[in-house]
Amino acid sequence: MGGGVTDYAAISARVRAMYAELLTPQDMARLSEASDFLTLFNSLKSTAYGPYLEGLKDKDINPRRVITQIKRKLADSFYSVIQMSPVQTRPLVKQLYRYYEIGNLKAVLRSIMTVSAWNAETGHWDRVREVLFPLGSTTVLPAQAMVESGSVATAVDLLQGTPYEEILSFAMKRYSAEQNLFPIEVALDLSYWRRLWAEAKKLTGQDREHGVRIIGSLLDMNNLMWAIRYRVYHKLSEEEIINYTLPFGYRVQDSDIRAVAAGADIASVITRLYPGITDVSALLENPQTGLPKLEVLLKRQLMKQCLAAFVGSPFHIGIPLAFLVMSDLEVQDLIVLIEAKSSNFPADEYRPFLLKENLLN
Amino acid sequence: MFFPEAMTEVELIVPSKDLLAVTKVLGNQGVFHQIDSTYLGLENLGPNTWQEKAASYSTLERRIQVIMQTLNLKEEYSGVSDFDSIADLDPIQSAVDRIEAEVKKTSDQLAGEKKKLEQLESQLHQLEPIADTNVDVGALRKSNYLYSVLGIIPAANISRLETSLSRVPHAFFTLREDPQKPVVWLLGPRSNSDIIERAVKSAYLNPLTLPEEFDGTPAEITKSIRKAIERSKQKISDLDRTLAGLAETHGKELHKLLWDVHVSRLIADAIARFGQLRHTYVGVGWVPSADLELLTQRLKQASKEILIEAIPIERSGNHPNVPVALRNPGFLAPFELLVNTYARPRYNELDPTIMIAVTFPLLYGAMFGDVGHGLVLAAFGWLLSRRTSLGGLLIACGLSGTIFGFLFGSIFGFEEILPHHPFFGQFVLIQPMHSIIQILAIAIGAGIVLLNAGILLNMYTALRSRNWGRFLFDSNGIFGWLLYLAFLILIGQIFGNLLAGISIFPRFVLVIAGIVFVIGILVAVVFSHPLQHWMEEGHFVVEGGWGIFAVQSLAEILEKVISMFSNTMSYVRVGAFAIVHAGFTGAVFVIARLLSGGEDAGFAYWTTVVLGNLFVIGLESFIVAIQTMRLHYYEFFSKFFQGGGSPYEPLALATAKEK
Repeated sequence: MGGGVTDYAAISARVRAMYAELLTPQDMARLSEASDFLTLFNSLKSTAYGPYLEGLKDKDINPRRVITQIKRKLADSFYSVIQMSPVQTRPLVKQLYRYYEIGNLKAVLRSIMTVSAWNAETGHWDRVREVLFPLGSTTVLPAQAMVESGSVATAVDLLQGTPYEEILSFAMKRYSAEQNLFPIEVALDLSYWRRLWAEAKKLTGQDREHGVRIIGSLLDMNNLMWAIRYRVYHKLSEEEIINYTLPFGYRVQDSDIRAVAAGADIASVITRLYPGITDVSALLENPQTGLPKLEVLLKRQLMKQCLAAFVGSPFHIGIPLAFLVMSDLEVQDLIVLIEAKSSNFPADEYRPFLLKENLLN
Repeated sequence: MFFPEAMTEVELIVPSKDLLAVTKVLGNQGVFHQIDSTYLGLENLGPNTWQEKAASYSTLERRIQVIMQTLNLKEEYSGVSDFDSIADLDPIQSAVDRIEAEVKKTSDQLAGEKKKLEQLESQLHQLEPIADTNVDVGALRKSNYLYSVLGIIPAANISRLETSLSRVPHAFFTLREDPQKPVVWLLGPRSNSDIIERAVKSAYLNPLTLPEEFDGTPAEITKSIRKAIERSKQKISDLDRTLAGLAETHGKELHKLLWDVHVSRLIADAIARFGQLRHTYVGVGWVPSADLELLTQRLKQASKEILIEAIPIERSGNHPNVPVALRNPGFLAPFELLVNTYARPRYNELDPTIMIAVTFPLLYGAMFGDVGHGLVLAAFGWLLSRRTSLGGLLIACGLSGTIFGFLFGSIFGFEEILPHHPFFGQFVLIQPMHSIIQILAIAIGAGIVLLNAGILLNMYTALRSRNWGRFLFDSNGIFGWLLYLAFLILIGQIFGNLLAGISIFPRFVLVIAGIVFVIGILVAVVFSHPLQHWMEEGHFVVEGGWGIFAVQSLAEILEKVISMFSNTMSYVRVGAFAIVHAGFTGAVFVIARLLSGGEDAGFAYWTTVVLGNLFVIGLESFIVAIQTMRLHYYEFFSKFFQGGGSPYEPLALATAKEK
């Protein structure tokens, strides 16, 4: 047995305790019935997010601050799992957590790009800080110094000695020539997923089997959406799509990605890979609205895969990983709700994008 | 000492004229954990100028730091802590402008030259794999039919690049293998140059760019580059000397500027977080209750009209925002570090520092029981204690090992000296190698005591914070404790029967234990969460329906029983390591005897004994530390300690040394 009973006794209990705190589809349905943002905020206070929201002063009750507080709970869940996971699986969980650091790095670089020229504008960092994932002291990014550096090149120079230095050394040449963050963001994504996959593959026994299943399913969704977006939105060539995607995954294989890159019918590729997802052609008729809906369908498949991890032997890394992925999906759901309620969107516009509520159907 | 320091929420209303003096007091006292209270201010008073000032000081501080780094000067905050007011921006700005302009000119030249040198060296390095090729690189560049790219690519992208070109005729060579940055050469027909270019670009292949002036074969180009490198190095050395001169000239002035700007920035930052009213400012923060009186006194000296409202915070209930100050005596610092490495206690939670200060050395010493080894470890700790607080931990563990060494009768692995000594012999209680079963049983017994203590501490914490759900129904609450006691009785009976064929407990005790066990499983495991939810929210909720609940409950019962067993048995390692420690040193003597031809004397014998002992000390001190830490973090702490408190970070203007 990979890991074994003793390795997983404590973490299993902790994860189960945290799992019990996740919102149920019924909770989510109740929250989505809130009439406005403030009602939603008050309803959220009676959930496991309550302790994170209680400290907010009246003046701070705005969508951004609430979202940051909600993300803090996710950060705490990661912290707990990392602390308690067996030594051999810890690099995988840490690498999974690095996803948010990559997100912060992209946000920091984008914020620099949006400020045309460096000036000592005082509120700039404060505004950027509000959208960053609250990684606390676990991050290696000198985010404030990067934002205040005022240029992407100087900001990237500040990453010396971090795991991002090497990756960005190649991407920066292209950035300098194109003045576009796309090559940097793609390089960061590819490197992140390669490392994550390599960490999953390093495991043995049940840990490997379940780790590869969860991480692979996550990777499948991203890889497939990249390939489709590069073809449909960015109109990239076959060779570019291949270079900007990955040749591995759990269900999605290299041949599938290459087929999409070479111009094969996307709907038939998806239906073959995910028989549960039908009517893809209709979604692709209008990519602007269809692709986000397709992504939601893929996320629901991922969620089902995560739920399946909780069945059977509990002594493997699959359960903590599935819990973390589900927590992340829950936060995504809450962000959709918060933004929809604060913008007064009608229910039929945002409900299709909720993952959990639709599990009831 | 047993709980984080009691905190008081303090709200200050300060007249505008006294703002600076009050902030100075707050900074000098170093006890006020400030929270942003700008939300309390009036919005129609216009922009907060203090924020702008703080940003300006911050920018200046960074600029000074950059200059100091460029000049290789240490960034020390070495000013006087008693200052009159915050520094004027203009004179500092112009002083920084002046020095920066002087330094920047040279440092820009130096950076440019270094970049050039790096480029030349990189080009030289990239040429190495093709140094023997007798090809005119310039001619290749100008070829009519062949499109070629020579460059560096991230190693991970090579196979993907080849896949992306699978439909196009091409040749691909790795000229230099490198785990990170291999040098590759890609050739294809010029008619497909657009496809190859796109593939190269999207695979992040950075083409090697040789300057036009370098022409000819790789050997000829290498020679020219080497000469250019020599010239560049000479120039860098001249520029370094110029910078050293500038450091000499401006060093003192920069240190003073840095201190002035640093203090001014801290004060401006603090003031910027006050809420601004029309004639007053409002500041909110936390102060350890013990320091409140002195702080109040000083604040009233600084401002006669200041209003101070203090709200002491009780420990019951959930206070996620209250910063947690652990104020243990200095000698407990290494143990506090051990606790914080696991997690910072919450405000309403027990601070386990004092407990770990007792149990950590105790368990460590039991596993490392040898008078000589313990003293060596303590001496090493004493040497380290001037540099790091971990030295204190080693001293405590070493002394504990020494005491256990007397109890075990072992000194540097010699097991016969102490037991036969007329004085020390009377302290020898048990020799691990001669009483294996007894020492293992004692270890498990000690574990049971510690686990029970952990559960009782959890109940105490729950009781103190009036968390009745946790007190009653948590798996380490009162029912969880009864479950564990029943489990111990039942498991004791089973082992007694299996190993010695005896019945330890009378039948009625076993029946009661059986009933308590079943009730404990139901209340503290199966229905633990619904019951806690019921206590907190007033209604009973079963998550996910009864079917899933039943399956989960089965898994949880299995997990609970296994964890009770494994947690208890985990402490057997204390006894096992005591035996291993004695066995290890025994092996050293066997090897020593073999090397000295069967004699217990001679150079080879004593050399092996000394080196062997050092080896055992080095190896075991490390392994035992890990085991002790494991027993605390996984077995002991998990029973009662949750952690997750936020750190107490008071505003302090003192220099690093004073802190």
